[in-house]
Amino acid sequence: MQPFRPLIPAARRALQETGRLIIVALGSSTTAGSGASAEDKSYPFVLQSELRRRLPGAEVRVLNKGVGGQSAYDMLRRMDNDVIDEKPSVVIWQTVINDAIRDIGEDKLAKILRKGIAKARAAGIDTILMDLPWLPREGRYPHFDEYRAVLARTAEQQGVSLFPRYAMMRGWARSKQFTEQELVGMDGLHLVDAGYRCLASRLADGIVAAVGDVPIQIIGRPASLGE
Amino acid sequence: MSSDPSFQRFMLFGRRAEGAAGRPAGRDARIDMVRGLALLIIFINHMPGNVVSAYMPNNFGFSDAADVFVLLAGVSATLAYGGLIETRGFAVAALKLGARLWTLYIAHMAVFILVCGVIAVAVTRTQNPLYIEAINIQPFFRDTVDALIGALTLTYQPSYLDILPLYIVLLALFPPIYYGVRFSPALTLACSLLVWQAALAFELNLPNSGGVWFFNPFAWQVIFTLGVILGRTVQLGIAAPRLRWLDALAVAFLLFAWLVKIPAGNPTGIAALNDWFDSVQLGSDKTNLAWSRLLHLGALTWLAISWLPASGRLTRSALGRALACSGRNSLHVFCVGIVLAVTGQIVLAETSFALDVQLLLCAGGITMLTGLGIFLSWYRSITSREQRAGPAAASGAPVQRPSFSPR
Repeated sequence: MQPFRPLIPAARRALQETGRLIIVALGSSTTAGSGASAEDKSYPFVLQSELRRRLPGAEVRVLNKGVGGQSAYDMLRRMDNDVIDEKPSVVIWQTVINDAIRDIGEDKLAKILRKGIAKARAAGIDTILMDLPWLPREGRYPHFDEYRAVLARTAEQQGVSLFPRYAMMRGWARSKQFTEQELVGMDGLHLVDAGYRCLASRLADGIVAAVGDVPIQIIGRPASLGE
Repeated sequence: MSSDPSFQRFMLFGRRAEGAAGRPAGRDARIDMVRGLALLIIFINHMPGNVVSAYMPNNFGFSDAADVFVLLAGVSATLAYGGLIETRGFAVAALKLGARLWTLYIAHMAVFILVCGVIAVAVTRTQNPLYIEAINIQPFFRDTVDALIGALTLTYQPSYLDILPLYIVLLALFPPIYYGVRFSPALTLACSLLVWQAALAFELNLPNSGGVWFFNPFAWQVIFTLGVILGRTVQLGIAAPRLRWLDALAVAFLLFAWLVKIPAGNPTGIAALNDWFDSVQLGSDKTNLAWSRLLHLGALTWLAISWLPASGRLTRSALGRALACSGRNSLHVFCVGIVLAVTGQIVLAETSFALDVQLLLCAGGITMLTGLGIFLSWYRSITSREQRAGPAAASGAPVQRPSFSPR
């Protein structure tokens, strides 16, 4: 698996000029933190702590805009309020799972994704798309692979980065680092904290790799006070 | 709009033309029949990804079964509670309405608990966390206390559990809307449209966990108000004027909607229209209502009023009567339909959306829902016969049964 190295020039620029890195996590259940034992175990929260730790001096905020059960179209509709109005430099868009479940149509999905990416781009925001999760039994959703392909294809055509969540989770499952239940399961309702932590760490790895060499402008106050 | 003076008089002043004899308002079988049909369509559409749902009306036009359902809710509320206001006065009607709101609220709670239970069982048995995602039930599992309070205050509505809260709010608004329509339908409609557009401009909506209500009541009250006006014409026995040009316009609009929904993309090649085509093809704004939805519903309603005879062959056929039974027991059929549809979603996924299972689920669900409607109608007929035989047989003129029929 290739290391994840997102293309986020707007984030680099923002860090350089203002010392600020604002990320909006737009998504459905995975973003909202389905299965996490507490709010602060969701991936956006962990990502924020990781980035603050690894980018000392920068003012980092990761906003959680996850609403469970939403389709790509639902999120496109709240892009203005939930993403653009927050003036972030990066949006991590976790979507497509509900569109795959509902089989909304591949062309329709591609169009929605394109519109969302274009909207973010027009506002000067870099998009990172998040790949679908790996599922122990994909057979439940016969078109799962097709929708994953739409996501990958759209990311490539639009020149935005795709966070390889699927490959990562499959790798974890194969390496037996986690049990299946720790990754995706839910026998007791709070089993996926470990999965979110790893997801966030890998995202942080990528983002730090992409912006870590930027000299950070510290404005006004010492970084340790952060926010 | 109309050249018919009696209809014009009604729209402006909410009254019949003097001397014009209205026919007494009998129960209109069309209302129950269409509502029964809408309930079945809602059931099918609540199992997304099934092959039958691709043939449901929302694929061929701007509005869908939800719009029809809310419109008819307005009609039935008028016939039931408007009728009560006229015969028994406001106090009795308000008490009845209050009792009805309470029943709706309890029904909503019951469906909520049932659906949470179904999902909890499914997730723990199958280890597929996506069932939580499918209807946004995760807040309930993560923070049960918060979710419970949210559910009780209608500020947490998982998917599919958003129609009853809308209906509760709309029915609570019924008295002012009804008195408004009694005074002047045209003026009330103008106010209603104004509230809708103001809500759009100021982004008004009620809160829902992590967002806003899926059905914005500030917008959807327009359709309910239209229903009340329609119900008032039935109540007063005012016939809609025969307007051939409007018939033609309505047909043309439905055709237009169909032509716009079918292709992928913009067939006209006019770049300025790209965004508009996208907006109707990706999904007409359901939360805040869209003009396209409203006009589409208006066209459908007009044609139904003009061309679907009240006691025609269709309404008297076995199919029509079966549908009407579901429509007459809409609260029960709706609630059971939600639980069946959520269960159906799980069965579909567990069987990998096998075609035969899909068809079986749709057919089975429709049979069960229709059967429930027929059973409840029969049950009511035998229990009311007992009542009539009893000593307390005092009865005035039979009052129209309200929409989500109360006990």
